[in-house]
Amino acid sequence: MKTSLSWLKEYVDVEMDASKIADALTMAGLEVETVIDRYAFLETVVVARILEIKPHKNADKLRVCTVDTGKDKLNIVCGAPNVQEGMLVPLALPGTELPGGVILEKGKIRGEVSEGMICSKKELAIGEDDGGIMVLEPHLTIGEPLNNALNLCDPVIEIDLTPNRPDCLGIIGIAREVAAFENKTVQKPETKLPNALNHIKNFTSVTIEDPDLCPRYAACLLTDIKVGPSPFWLKDRLQSVGLKPINNIVDVTNFVMMETGQPLHAFDFDNLAENRIVVKRAKNNKTFITLDEKERHLSADMLMICDGQKPVALAGVMGGLNSEIEEKTTRVLIESACFNPTSIRKTAKQLGLHSDASHRFERGVDPDGTVNAILRAAQLMAEIGGGQPVEGIIDEHPKPSSPHIITLGIPDTNRLIGTSLTKEKIESLLKSIGFITAPIDENAIAVTVPLFRVDVSKPVDLMEEVARCVGYNHIPTSFPLIPAKTGVHNPHIERRSTVKDILLGLGLTETVNYSFVHELSCDRLRLAENDPKRNRVKILNPLTEDQAVMRTSLLPGLLETARRNISRQVTSLKIFETGKIFMGKDAITQPDEIEMVTGLITGNRERMTWHADPQTVDFYDLKGILESLFESLHIENIYIKKCLSDQYPYTRPGVSATIHFENQFLGLLGEVHPEVLANYNLKQSAFIFEINLDSLLPLIPVIKSSADIPKYPAITRDITIIISKKSEAGQILKTIDNLNDKLVETVQLFDVYEGKPIPEGRRSISIRITYRSQDKTLKDKNINGIHQKITDTLLKEFDATLPV
Amino acid sequence: MDKNIDQIHKEALSDLARAIDIESIDAISTRYLGRKGIITQFLRNVSSLPVEERPLAGKKANEVKQILSQALADAEKKIKAQNLISDEGVDISLPGRKPERGSLHPVSRVMQEICNIFSRMGFDIAEGPEVETDYYNFEALNFPKDHPARDMQDTFFVSDDMILRTHTSPMQIRMMEKKKPPLRLIAPGKVYRCDSDITHTPMFHQVEGLMVDKNISFGDLKGILTVFVHQMFDDQTNLRFRPSYFPFTEPSAEVDIRCVICKGSGCRVCSDSGWLEILGSGMVHPNVFENVGYDTSKYTGFAFGTGVERIAMLKYGINDLRKFYDNDLRFLGQF
Ligand SMILES: [Zn+2]
Repeated sequence: MKTSLSWLKEYVDVEMDASKIADALTMAGLEVETVIDRYAFLETVVVARILEIKPHKNADKLRVCTVDTGKDKLNIVCGAPNVQEGMLVPLALPGTELPGGVILEKGKIRGEVSEGMICSKKELAIGEDDGGIMVLEPHLTIGEPLNNALNLCDPVIEIDLTPNRPDCLGIIGIAREVAAFENKTVQKPETKLPNALNHIKNFTSVTIEDPDLCPRYAACLLTDIKVGPSPFWLKDRLQSVGLKPINNIVDVTNFVMMETGQPLHAFDFDNLAENRIVVKRAKNNKTFITLDEKERHLSADMLMICDGQKPVALAGVMGGLNSEIEEKTTRVLIESACFNPTSIRKTAKQLGLHSDASHRFERGVDPDGTVNAILRAAQLMAEIGGGQPVEGIIDEHPKPSSPHIITLGIPDTNRLIGTSLTKEKIESLLKSIGFITAPIDENAIAVTVPLFRVDVSKPVDLMEEVARCVGYNHIPTSFPLIPAKTGVHNPHIERRSTVKDILLGLGLTETVNYSFVHELSCDRLRLAENDPKRNRVKILNPLTEDQAVMRTSLLPGLLETARRNISRQVTSLKIFETGKIFMGKDAITQPDEIEMVTGLITGNRERMTWHADPQTVDFYDLKGILESLFESLHIENIYIKKCLSDQYPYTRPGVSATIHFENQFLGLLGEVHPEVLANYNLKQSAFIFEINLDSLLPLIPVIKSSADIPKYPAITRDITIIISKKSEAGQILKTIDNLNDKLVETVQLFDVYEGKPIPEGRRSISIRITYRSQDKTLKDKNINGIHQKITDTLLKEFDATLPV
Repeated sequence: MDKNIDQIHKEALSDLARAIDIESIDAISTRYLGRKGIITQFLRNVSSLPVEERPLAGKKANEVKQILSQALADAEKKIKAQNLISDEGVDISLPGRKPERGSLHPVSRVMQEICNIFSRMGFDIAEGPEVETDYYNFEALNFPKDHPARDMQDTFFVSDDMILRTHTSPMQIRMMEKKKPPLRLIAPGKVYRCDSDITHTPMFHQVEGLMVDKNISFGDLKGILTVFVHQMFDDQTNLRFRPSYFPFTEPSAEVDIRCVICKGSGCRVCSDSGWLEILGSGMVHPNVFENVGYDTSKYTGFAFGTGVERIAMLKYGINDLRKFYDNDLRFLGQF
């Protein structure tokens, strides 16, 4: 909602400047978005003197003027008939944004350089055209900006109005607020119709067939109208708030709407069949062409304004092309009505047609303002359009609204807002914004709500008004007593944060990607047709196609992030994300939201340094990160299993494994499949893990019991065996573990070697076993037996040999 | 006897003072204390002194022998210790072997900070679904169907009745349904709005807060939010509360803080107003309490919500919202 300061001052006599008013409105709950002087563009339009006029070489009607701006002498091409040497004129310099949005540039007009533009009043939107360029008073100072020279300043205040305040969708409503905090009264324009002979009832009638959707409909008739352009003041008012002047009749309806908040509509009376109005649902009417010449598809429930035969307007939304005001129109029927807000909103939404009228009706207009608005419009049309009003108005009012009367408890009010206001104070505050109060007893008052405040119907609504009038910043700040007892402990959140901290410590950086991904993301991950990850939640109104479905994996986001970073020369990444995936169900069930932690590493293991050559990351870097993670979380007995080929088609066969705890699946780790890399435009290998956090976090033990520090020294023994490359080295550790000997403390695999002199197809594995006893210092003889047993077992189980 | 013992003592110490390595110490030791050393010989010759001088000379010579032995041992220890330290040291200017560190996303960082502040005031933390029903996101929060208030939040639809939550406020309803008052909780999480430009991303983060008890007033709301702002920024930060409208609270208030960039004199970040909007808040609307079966005659409460990115931008001087979701490591690495 916009108002210019000058327009606002028509209704309330305030001295404050625009920025003070803006601040006060903001603090009253009408948040002012901007305050912009609509004449600010005149800063670069200067008073200039025409020194010399010469003919244009290439155009008869144009002339070339030399103009003095006080600073420079400029060459200006001008076509106006009234330029004369010596005249003072407004000269728009290059860079000026003229009303209508054109930014003036230096240029050539038919071969002659023009370094600005000599303007007419109309071009500057400060007056009507009067035969060419604007001629300025000779006493003005050359070079002075025109807004200073002519004292033009009119700030336009734009309010970001919340939907509960339709009463301020008319400038009088805003004036009412200003008047309240300035202790002034609002001056509403007088509305009085001249007397006339013929009564409106002899010409027309209004029938409301669906009063549930139209509680009130007023009509008024004018004859002998001459449709034409509006006078300057009217156009100027409309333009000041961003409305486009159309013709005097339509402009008056818009002007009165801006003034009062009541949308009006003007029909060409002679286009109304049977010269009458019927208000009813569309029912069988299927289509309707609105003023903007678009065909609209109606549904049966939409409220239409009809004449004796057909619809002529979409009630409260937009008029019809068939009854539009045209140049030849002489008789005008003005409509001022109240419609059911919900019905208007449904119609407007369904048709995708949001108008100034529907905006107001769906928020609720003052049912008491209907008649005032129509009288005001009729009076203005009579003045401007030369119309003759017909005596009287029709005011069909099948459902008169009576004002709400609310009982407001004084202690309740003080308790809610934390004040100790007296009854009298509360009454006077409410009165200042148009409420009527009457005492009930010591502790309560009866408050009559003015009809224009459609948002107030409960005591709490009044309490808000009281708080607003006191001023939120004058309400004392207090601190509630908080009991030490808290409610639910949420271990999930704490544990997630532990996981994050560990990953950060392991060198991974957290990323946050959008929860929606590209429609094709499942294809890009090579998922099978029946993969459960294809059950996605689709967004019906996505902004872009790469945000069209909710993710069922965090991988696409990480792969995109990797691609973006690599394209910007950040080629080594260790990143992760925690967040939800959304496994779609049916259309009426909320999806399963599963929280995942997913990581990706690519590029070099370490930055390039003086002490080591950079090496690219591999599977074991990834595995190590996870081993560290699980160890830090104290979750023991997590194991991994090699994936069957194409079980997880986005990983490279042979370089991927699933992660398990007991018989629970936790996630997977592996190298990204080369095709997937290509789908995401990645040219370097990448390794990923994904783990279901909802499954992982509960495995973190609450209590971890620590073991005693060993008292006796240990003995270490190394074994090197040569085994087939097909055997998994990890099985060696497991085999020793399975022997379950108490003296074996740890087994470490410390070397893997293949190549000469080891035979083809085999490799040597070296392990170090640490033996320790809890109750004595071991001697060689104590462990010889077990060490031999381990060696024999390994040789047998792995078909292994000892090195030569 | 050519020299008396005092003189020998003096000479020995001054020899020792000049010694720079183990070899020269060994030489001094041999020279004075060796088998043919000066002091050894002196002692041997004591018997040739007159009888009355013998005891004193012998005693003195033995003392000197002892002092010198000790001095030699000390000197040797000192030089050996010096030898352990290399002369050249290291080039301390070479870069260290730096373990790589990861960074927490600034949104997480700020979210955690917000949660910590409220945790300290005894607020519980709860999380909930992001694909939400119309009922929890709107209806129960007093946004009737076909009410213009719904236009305040551009909504992503999944079906007629299901949407991506536009705010974290549904958690108010979900938690109140589960638990009887009194209640203190915050609900951090992702929210979605169908809007994307320089100042909007289609996904962002909010932290919702709710406190319900007997006798909770608007003044209390001001108190708790003042504590929050003072802990989040600094305790000199000015706040102002101004009336606003949210269907689920009444009275409703927007909370502005004095611009942290220009301190109120006006700048681009605060569009020259000197204030920055950082919280929406209000007293829980009685309709909301009725929807969850709370007794409106007994209980009052307040609710608030804040945008995490907004606070992160102010705290870290981030000038472009889109940086949060671009995930450029050169940006993330700064946190
Ligand atoms: Zn600022």
